Amino acid sequence: MATSQNSSGPPDLDSSSPSDQSACSRSSNRSLRVAEIERRKNEAEDPFVLALKYFSDVEAGTPVTGNDDVERNLVAVERVAYSKGLPPEAISIMLEFAMSLRMGTSPCVRVLKCLIPATVVPQEAVVRAVVWLCVGKIPLSTQVLFIKWVLTMFDMIDAKDQLHSIYGFLFSFVTEENLVCVVMILLHLRLFRVRKLLDLQSKMGRQPFLMHLLSLYKVFCPELVTLSLPSRMKAGFRNHNSQWKSALIAVQKKNSFQVTSSVSLTVRLKDKTNPRKRKHNHLEVPALSSAVNTQTNPSSSRKLVPLVQLHSFSLLLENLHHIELPAQMGSLLGSSLALQYLDCVQDESAFLRLNFWLGHALHEEFLFCSSGVSQNSEEVLQFLDRLLSSQHFLQEGFSSTEAFLYKFLNIWDGSLLRPQILGMLSNIPVVPSSCIRQLLFEPLMQLFFTSTLFFKCGLIECLNSMLLKWLTWHSVYALEDGLDISLNSHTSINMTLSGFKDSLMELVHFVGRLASVGLQIEGCHSLLLSFILDFYETVCDMFLKYGLPLVVMPPAGVFYPALFATDPVSVDRLAHIMYRYKVNLMSAKTQEKQTEQAFHISRQTYREFNHYLVVMVNCLWNSKMFQPGMGVEMEEELLVSSKVPQYWSSFDFIHHPAFLSYAVDFHHKVGHPKPWGWYLEYLYAQGFEGLKQFVQSNISRRSTAGDGQGDGLSADQR
Amino acid sequence: MERRNSMARTPLSSVVAPRRSRSKSYRRSYHSCLGAASYLSLTSGLTARRLTTSRRAPKSHSITEKVSPEQLALLVKKEWQLSYVTPLHQFRHKQLKSYSRQLQAFIVAERQQGLAVGMEGADSSFRVSFSVLQGMVETDDDAESVFVQIHSKPVFAGQEKPMRSVWSGWLACISGSPDYLRSLPEDFVCLPLFCSSGAEWLTSLVKSWFQRMFDCCFGPLEINTTNLEWLVALWTNCHSEFNIQHLKLMWTLPVVPPLEVTYTLHPQDAWELWRSIREDVQDEEKTEGGRDTMAKDGGSICIEEVMRFMQALKCHFYRHFRVDLSTGRLDQVSTALGSAKHNGKIKISNSSYMITTLMLLTECALLKMPI
Repeated sequence: MATSQNSSGPPDLDSSSPSDQSACSRSSNRSLRVAEIERRKNEAEDPFVLALKYFSDVEAGTPVTGNDDVERNLVAVERVAYSKGLPPEAISIMLEFAMSLRMGTSPCVRVLKCLIPATVVPQEAVVRAVVWLCVGKIPLSTQVLFIKWVLTMFDMIDAKDQLHSIYGFLFSFVTEENLVCVVMILLHLRLFRVRKLLDLQSKMGRQPFLMHLLSLYKVFCPELVTLSLPSRMKAGFRNHNSQWKSALIAVQKKNSFQVTSSVSLTVRLKDKTNPRKRKHNHLEVPALSSAVNTQTNPSSSRKLVPLVQLHSFSLLLENLHHIELPAQMGSLLGSSLALQYLDCVQDESAFLRLNFWLGHALHEEFLFCSSGVSQNSEEVLQFLDRLLSSQHFLQEGFSSTEAFLYKFLNIWDGSLLRPQILGMLSNIPVVPSSCIRQLLFEPLMQLFFTSTLFFKCGLIECLNSMLLKWLTWHSVYALEDGLDISLNSHTSINMTLSGFKDSLMELVHFVGRLASVGLQIEGCHSLLLSFILDFYETVCDMFLKYGLPLVVMPPAGVFYPALFATDPVSVDRLAHIMYRYKVNLMSAKTQEKQTEQAFHISRQTYREFNHYLVVMVNCLWNSKMFQPGMGVEMEEELLVSSKVPQYWSSFDFIHHPAFLSYAVDFHHKVGHPKPWGWYLEYLYAQGFEGLKQFVQSNISRRSTAGDGQGDGLSADQR
Repeated sequence: MERRNSMARTPLSSVVAPRRSRSKSYRRSYHSCLGAASYLSLTSGLTARRLTTSRRAPKSHSITEKVSPEQLALLVKKEWQLSYVTPLHQFRHKQLKSYSRQLQAFIVAERQQGLAVGMEGADSSFRVSFSVLQGMVETDDDAESVFVQIHSKPVFAGQEKPMRSVWSGWLACISGSPDYLRSLPEDFVCLPLFCSSGAEWLTSLVKSWFQRMFDCCFGPLEINTTNLEWLVALWTNCHSEFNIQHLKLMWTLPVVPPLEVTYTLHPQDAWELWRSIREDVQDEEKTEGGRDTMAKDGGSICIEEVMRFMQALKCHFYRHFRVDLSTGRLDQVSTALGSAKHNGKIKISNSSYMITTLMLLTECALLKMPI
């Protein structure tokens, strides 16, 4: 890292970001600086930051009673503490403030009560506080409170080396009878301490807390403690204060969602925030623990490092080649670091283990469990979200979820955990075209036609993202091996490029069918249409973006509803899609000419495209609606009897229901003689980029200042 | 080939090139779907892994020759609670001794949780022994069955009192689907059927030890109506060689309050009925064209015969009591050979015909495998 340090950075660079120098150019440094200033400005106005500043600067002896500043600032701190938890520096400041008794003892207790850490407690703060404790001005009850706080937060202290060295001081508090029961647990085993404890016991009699400490000692160092202790003791140390604990849990819960979604680097050990023991606990992610069953592999003489012991990405990199997998692969799901490792190992049985566990959990919870799922939806949600974020992180689905979904789709009601199920569904890998119908399409079709509009939209969106993932896989994969997939010898895959194309075509056609019928059922709902157009935006670019020589046109049931949609956005998007189709087909054609090879895109596709293009140009531009040979035909008498004047122009850019309001608006602004070109410019100015692309690429206009409508050019491909 | 290659590449090279480093996992992506499809018959598994529609008729004497009588004695006359287990990772039949020690230590440690001080001699209060049930296999693909026994001394018993067995359980795979077993990598051992008998807390301890040790999962294995009906037929079919003494069936009917029907048949009557149905079906098949007659001559039983047999039993009941049993759920089946309950409890009273029963149960357990 240091080798790449670049000294050419500007001298006035913000000192707080020296590490950025190497990576960033001058201009991005400036933007960083601007952002930094902006952030600081925001921070300066933040009452919380102000409050912290106040508490770090406040002079000793400032009166508390009647001091509104204290009250206001304290409230600000408390609000943050109970909602998000305090950042480490805030903990330091507030602890220092409280323990120094700068404003007397009364705010001290209140501050201590709200010290809920958001992430960790800095060790220095605790050590300093202990120093204050030794000064001895603090009332006993507050001392107890402080030590209880330390106990509760003990696991969150970032390092403990210095703490260990001051245990001696802590031990001295043992003699203070009120403190004794809480100090104990902090102590480590030392011979003289045991002696002291034994003395103490003879003085105070058999106090339960003493007995517990002694029994604890006996476990670790049985030769020191020889006295016999009762084998059963109820209620050992209460090592936490319930009030803090609950606040802490609340804060952690709130923060944990963000942690999982952003996939932090640290190993997430199993959170123990679930006191309620479920009867059927299928969805519990096992704790990350090192394998017990390791002696089975004596051949590997080198030392293996259990995954549990790795706490950072750099450690993971260092030990990458001698990492020991955990005892239960399911525990990887709880840890992003482990997932990173999983991402780079090619261990078939490791995957199988993970999949056995995951599949078992899903099957037991959703398929075999007769009691139903709804009652514990909270945990189910958490589990599935974690699963989804893992899959998202790995950018692929697990094969066990795939197997599970094929079964579950048949019994799914379409509403239970819809976002999660659809999310999992969108992650499934390419399904061979021979079984895609039975496994996927039939259950989905049934669900689609019997569910609400929102499900329909959700499903189309899901299928769109499924298509995107398949395409991405293909593009990376095809590129990597540079060959047809079937020629790849080092994998056991027997899917050929044509097989992949078949699956993909099946999927696109399936969505086409769903969309056509769905639009009819829902009366061409514009929300549904929007999701469908999303899908076709992916489809039209398959060749150029993903290198798949496959172009599939939308069915008429999608094309016409979009063309005659009443909202201009849909028409605009359709125009954009048609434009992209054209670009894709053109480049396919040029490639075909270059390579002189029989190409995969059929003539039929070109014909379909040309037909749609002619219809669109005739309809929007040439005002030649309802002409024979077009997609929409009607009998002459019928059209006349409808008494629509100039019915042939009723869907051009001016009269199209989607654009009529724009035409009227344009008319009001510009006045009587309205040049066609101006109107177009006006439409483009409204943000109809798709229309612009469509017109510019397909229609060559003869006269730029044309008063009439320019002659359309139906841009035939052949 | 060369040309198509360049064609696929040109439009992409700018977009995707930086992702090359991640290629491995994408390869796996393909692998995990399609590899698995061929690998664990994932996609075809939905159709392939069904209950078989035809079974071999039970034959006696095969088991007693292979398995020692002492070990058989451990298995019979006890009610077993059934579970299914996903394949065990890194399980070695050669290390049973070490497993005994480890499970023993695990039980003792779990027992002592909450007790701060080790009780004197606590670790000797349990003794765990793993052993192989030699010969309890049907095909070469089956892994040898493993028997686990936990002995304990009552808390207040004196030193001289012997330890007694407080828990026992065994893992078995009898004639498991060869396609499935062969698809597993070498470091997995598939023993899908887990039978346990003893204190619940010990069962759950043993299970969690297996889970941690071999990264497997346990789930309850219940015997559904169809499988119980299979047992009825298979057991009845034994009557010609072994007196089943009675055929007892219990149904639960979904009425309020729930109606339980116990239906006991004289073995000879059941046998007569069964034989007539067998003959009927076989006659029909012969007239149809005699397909597969080799297998039909008493050697195997098909699902159709089972269904007809049950239908006949239900009809008979309906004629007498006007209660249609087909609306209810078959809960329990018992003969002198053994008994089986819907909730996954099974008791084997006579070891002669147990292999057939275990084959059926193994099949049920394999059906429960998540992949």
